[in-house]
Amino acid sequence: MSARKFKPNETVDFVVVGSGAAGGVVARELSQAGFSVLVFEQGPRLSQADFEHDELKYWFLSGITSDPKSSPQTFRKVSTATAKLPQGPNPLMYARLVGGSSNHYTANFWRFHEIDFHERSVYGSIPGTAFADWPINYQELEPYYTKVEWEVGVSGLAYASPFDPPRSKPYPMPPMPVKSSGVLMEQGARKLGLHPFPAPLAIASQPFRGRPACVHCGFCMGFGCEARAKSSSLFTMIPEAEATGLCEVRSGSYVYRVETNTAGRTTGVHYFDHHKREHFQKARAVVLSANGAETARLLLNSTSNHFPDGLANSSGMVGKHLMFNQGAGVHAVFEHEINDYKSVQVTRILHDFYDADPKRGFYGGGGIDARINPQPGLWAMASGGDLPRWGADLKSRLEAFPRSTMSTGHSTSLPLETNSVSLDPAVKDAWGIPAIRVTYKDHPDDLAMAKFLQDRSYEIMEAAGAQKLWRENVQENSGGAHLLGTCRMGNDAATSVVDKYHRTHDVPNLFLCDGSSFVTSGRGQPTMTIQALAFRAADHIGQFAKRNEI
Amino acid sequence: MNSTDDDQDGTSRRSFLLSTGGLFTTAWLGTQWAAISAAAHDAGDMAAADIAAAPAWTGFKFLSADDAKDVDAIAGQIVPSGATPGAREAHAVYFIDRALATFFAAWSADFSHGLGEFQAKFHAASPSAASFAAADSETQIAFLKTVDRTPFFESTRMLTILGMFSSPKYGGNFEGAGWKMMGFEDRHAFAPPFGYYDAKYTGFVPYTEKPA
Repeated sequence: MSARKFKPNETVDFVVVGSGAAGGVVARELSQAGFSVLVFEQGPRLSQADFEHDELKYWFLSGITSDPKSSPQTFRKVSTATAKLPQGPNPLMYARLVGGSSNHYTANFWRFHEIDFHERSVYGSIPGTAFADWPINYQELEPYYTKVEWEVGVSGLAYASPFDPPRSKPYPMPPMPVKSSGVLMEQGARKLGLHPFPAPLAIASQPFRGRPACVHCGFCMGFGCEARAKSSSLFTMIPEAEATGLCEVRSGSYVYRVETNTAGRTTGVHYFDHHKREHFQKARAVVLSANGAETARLLLNSTSNHFPDGLANSSGMVGKHLMFNQGAGVHAVFEHEINDYKSVQVTRILHDFYDADPKRGFYGGGGIDARINPQPGLWAMASGGDLPRWGADLKSRLEAFPRSTMSTGHSTSLPLETNSVSLDPAVKDAWGIPAIRVTYKDHPDDLAMAKFLQDRSYEIMEAAGAQKLWRENVQENSGGAHLLGTCRMGNDAATSVVDKYHRTHDVPNLFLCDGSSFVTSGRGQPTMTIQALAFRAADHIGQFAKRNEI
Repeated sequence: MNSTDDDQDGTSRRSFLLSTGGLFTTAWLGTQWAAISAAAHDAGDMAAADIAAAPAWTGFKFLSADDAKDVDAIAGQIVPSGATPGAREAHAVYFIDRALATFFAAWSADFSHGLGEFQAKFHAASPSAASFAAADSETQIAFLKTVDRTPFFESTRMLTILGMFSSPKYGGNFEGAGWKMMGFEDRHAFAPPFGYYDAKYTGFVPYTEKPA
């Protein structure tokens, strides 16, 4: 069945803003449930034939990511400072095209563990933070994690990690072939009594649901997949939604305001088409899946007499508690060729340090992987710590590229009310809409945990027999790609934005589902959980709609 | 992308230029795709003629010939020549020139200012040398050690690396010299084994007991 095209005055059942990891799932689930769905995507519709191995374009020239010239963002560390436009990249990194950031993610697909959902109860409060339990638990989300693995497509080895949470089914595909970096990490970690295991990845290790297996080109992180093997929404959820005949994906269309009526219900969205002409789309309900930055921005830009502080913001929590995750790497050179630029970024990880441990003296947990920033320029650019910066030492490091790898920690960020996405009072985008202002300063525990995992990474690479090791700096974030926590989920309307079903506390027919719903940050690989939440949200939203409870 | 602790807004030019250490630390520099395409097209046009004959010190869009020689000399110390190609063999200076004329044009004023300061400081330190490019390698290295934490050096370092390892269509990485030096193959498919260690791997051995 061909994709649906809605008429200009048609009222759709659902408008979904954003076509990425969450939006694609929501659109597919609601359309397959029989609802009419219109998905808005600000960026263009590209195909695998449009993607290239062009490092400069994708990493340095906003090839598919938010362009600072047309969509600027400002940054400051603390709210007493005036946020400024960076001279280089935008602080928040996300892709703008159909499929969103699921196109350029690295595709590490870790499930959260049971502990992630109730850490506050286990470890107690942390002064100065909004550390809290989630209103749902792992068991409620488990069926939807399984759905991600089987319907979006994840390769991996079930129960390979002794720390794995319970699961109802194995992975649908075997893990990706191990790389030399994974072998070395596994050898080093096992020597230390740790438990490395095959990395779960949203990349097809064999033909899967009409898509081919990975061809190991190595251009995953930061790039769209030229083989359709990466399980991006562009190749998975979006085509399946369109195949229902009930879903239209309207690309090149930028939603800038959610409209509400005097009864406090949303009636649809205002958007610019690709000619910057303004339109209004009527809808019975709206789901925002625009990512953890743009969802909050859209709410804050949708003020009205009824909602003077922004839509769904009676708590004042919209945009607050931004979390990026933390981490720092160790570079290593070995005796023989690794060729880590070939194939997927990661093939072995370990979760021995996943849980927080009060004996460390700080809160935090995380995982460690073996990886490389695979493209030559990105890898060569690395500096900081004791990495050589120029001259003969740099040349030696560059010549050792085939024998090089990294081990990197991926860890927690605490939710702080002071870390936020807000509207810049002075800067507007090319459409005249107030720009994102980012305020962010890491909690000291986040940096301590990053350093802790870097030390373990160093030990693992040393045990694996590295001939040379360099540490990166453990640094404060001034931007990120994991955009989490800005419209947090909770049972209390005074301290959260959405309820456990992703319905906003303030507007009964407005739902938010993306990284903004997170209560805590997880350990650095959020997309698996974003998509599990999206499957769960769509399931409940569809049931509400069928019971006429929206 | 990270910044130093000393700037509360975290957005100073220095903080960006110094921020190339982490996973997302080398994120993109903003520009419009039209400018990128133009630069790639422009570089492609001149690749066969001017670049093949380099260093002819002609065909530059932004740098003067004398400035280009100095920038080439700095780049040549950042990634030196030797048994394998360095920045000079990769024609990084041509990439830098194209970048500053097009997609990194926003940096051009700061770069020119920084280069002028660099040249003046070098002249003060080595008045007998006609230019940095004309100085011997030992003199160049000794001087660079005194300025290698400046924003100008950091930006030149970044541009040199991009000029060595970006696609040759942007004017540098001449005939893939940078990729060859690193042992990087620009291919669209590989098959395992990928390296020495995975070729010898005998398989994942499951854990039999859950750790305490």
